[in-house]
Amino acid sequence: MATAGAAGSRTYSFKVVLLGEGCVGKTSLVLRYCENKFNDKHITTLQASFLTKKLNITGKRVNLAIWDTAGQERFHALGPIYYRDSNGAILVYDITDEDSFQKVKNWVKELRKMLGNEICLCIVGNKIDLDKDRNVSVEEAESYSESVGAKHYHTSAKLNKGIEELFLDLCKRMMETAQAEERAKGNGASQSASSRRGVQIVDDEPQATPAGGCCSSG
Amino acid sequence: MSQRRGIHVDQSELLCKKGCGFYGNGAWQGLCSKCWREENQREKQRQIQEDQALAERLQREEEEAYASRHQRAQSQPAVTPFNKFEERKTKEKSSRVNTVTKFFTPSTKTPPKKDAGPFDTQSTPSPSSSAGRQSSLDRDRATQEFIDFLKAVKSGREIFKQCRAFTESMAYKRDMGADELSECVQDFYQNLSDRLHNQFKGSSELVERVMDEVEKYMMTRLYTEVFCPETTDDEKKDLAIQKRIRDLHWVTIEMLCVPVDEEIPEVSDSVVKAITDIIEMDSKQVPKDKLGCITRCSKHIFNGIRVSKKEAASADDFLPTLIYIVLKANPPRLQSNIQYITRFCNPSRLMTGEDGYYFTNLCCAVAFIEKLDGQSLNMSSEEFELYMSGQASPNGPQPAASSSSSGSAALSQAHNSLDVLTGLDERQERVIEKARQLESDLIDWTDEVEQKVQSALESFPLETQQSTTSAASETASAALSAIDSENVENELLPPPLQPQVFAG
Repeated sequence: MATAGAAGSRTYSFKVVLLGEGCVGKTSLVLRYCENKFNDKHITTLQASFLTKKLNITGKRVNLAIWDTAGQERFHALGPIYYRDSNGAILVYDITDEDSFQKVKNWVKELRKMLGNEICLCIVGNKIDLDKDRNVSVEEAESYSESVGAKHYHTSAKLNKGIEELFLDLCKRMMETAQAEERAKGNGASQSASSRRGVQIVDDEPQATPAGGCCSSG
Repeated sequence: MSQRRGIHVDQSELLCKKGCGFYGNGAWQGLCSKCWREENQREKQRQIQEDQALAERLQREEEEAYASRHQRAQSQPAVTPFNKFEERKTKEKSSRVNTVTKFFTPSTKTPPKKDAGPFDTQSTPSPSSSAGRQSSLDRDRATQEFIDFLKAVKSGREIFKQCRAFTESMAYKRDMGADELSECVQDFYQNLSDRLHNQFKGSSELVERVMDEVEKYMMTRLYTEVFCPETTDDEKKDLAIQKRIRDLHWVTIEMLCVPVDEEIPEVSDSVVKAITDIIEMDSKQVPKDKLGCITRCSKHIFNGIRVSKKEAASADDFLPTLIYIVLKANPPRLQSNIQYITRFCNPSRLMTGEDGYYFTNLCCAVAFIEKLDGQSLNMSSEEFELYMSGQASPNGPQPAASSSSSGSAALSQAHNSLDVLTGLDERQERVIEKARQLESDLIDWTDEVEQKVQSALESFPLETQQSTTSAASETASAALSAIDSENVENELLPPPLQPQVFAG
């Protein structure tokens, strides 16, 4: 389900969700990556919640669709609707805000429970330009990330640090996962079933959806 | 002689013209009573038969005319206003809608037909036959467009055959559950797009275009059968969410923390447009078109946020605003539409595309509205219950704080306009006053000039003027003569120099 299904021309289409608390800088991160802008008053884009990026990684074309999610606590329960069928998740926290790191931990638990190991997780400590106010220790964040099979990155949207690497790395990992999946499938006989099931969305009861079922079959 | 002849009636003339031997009567056209009755009966019979034939012919003609009109309306709809009317009429007739939720379909808005005449009763489908409900008009148009599109595509005939066969086979699966139907359609999409890729070697772009058209053709044909089918409880859910949204009428912009400022005219304009678009979704038949409505609605929302906040909208801003729009619009058959799109839309569009993102947000908004409680609006659950039960309204206890509700906004706007109007009024009066002053000034000025001229005339009487002019003419003539006299002296002067031509 990671591929666009285009057998002739190999183009990967990946969906990446951005998760994290309200003011950790999700939007700044993605705006910096896609538009190379930070706090710009002359914004040309109408919105920063759905952005796409075309990449070329080792000769393979990759279409990246980045889905921003509403970070407010009251929308937390809607998470599963956003992140189903996504190939990657970027979990952002603010290094000056211990609370936002706890939120990331909650997200990781939920994602692993719902989507298993199919999804590539990135844990991102944003705002390293404010390192003097750091409240989340580097060791703790990195050891936690390793323990849940996620990669940890340090970024600053303001200084444009670490963002390009983050997305490039994530794309490579998602491609590996997609290729491994394809090999496992063999001749792709079950491809139609799995990619089709990817859109069987149950809208009314996001919590009750055994989302693991729909993706683990692939 | 002649007189005699006049009254003479021959014996034979008195007899019945039929020659039956009885005497005839003039009143019966010279027939005897028996023959007259026979003749008369036959005449009557023929009259009746003729009348009948005429009636039949008229009816047949009418029928033909109707049928041809019908056909024309089908083959080239909306060409003339008349055809349009016919089209609406057929739509009206064929869509026997008996559910409340279908209230919003445009076809039901047309007035009841009057002139359909005797054909109406025989062609009225039973309400239960869903095939009859479908507007054959739309289907035929979709088929035509599909065929036209496929003409330009390699192996288009093959694609069309497959689609038609599949669509027709769907008619026999009417009793299946909605999920199985969805499975069938999605399987078909998948197989077809795989085939297009592998067998016909189409580029992904072309395949996408073909798949869009396939979806359009198939879903237009299947719409009434698979939209809100009777096997599901979609309709119940529609009514539930509709009631839920009505019950939540008291939710304000502040409670949802929506970052739009409806006091700005451009923003409130965007809000209205967004509401219109989300309501319009129900009127579309093809999943892609429905998604298009959601996307347009979202774009208007983004515009509203950008104008209000002066920065690009993030998901943190977008979702609350979308929830607010859904609450305000209360779109008809919301759940049915969402289910329909989920079941029958092309999967690639929903998975990664921009349309899919907005659709997902709409699903989130609906889920949020369903689960909404006091906590999610930053209020106590008691307060929430009070508002829900209608015992209190948020405007009651704090009327000043929530003054930015739409009603008072409109009122303040009206006040503003009134102020502007009074200002204009004052300025206009000033202008009129100035104009009057100018007018009187002008009159004064002409009077003054007249007076001055008059006084000048008085101070220099006409006679003196005449004497001076005559004196002047005398001196002038004297001067002339003096010049003449001087001319004599001029002859004594040497001749003027002549230009000389030098040779060489």
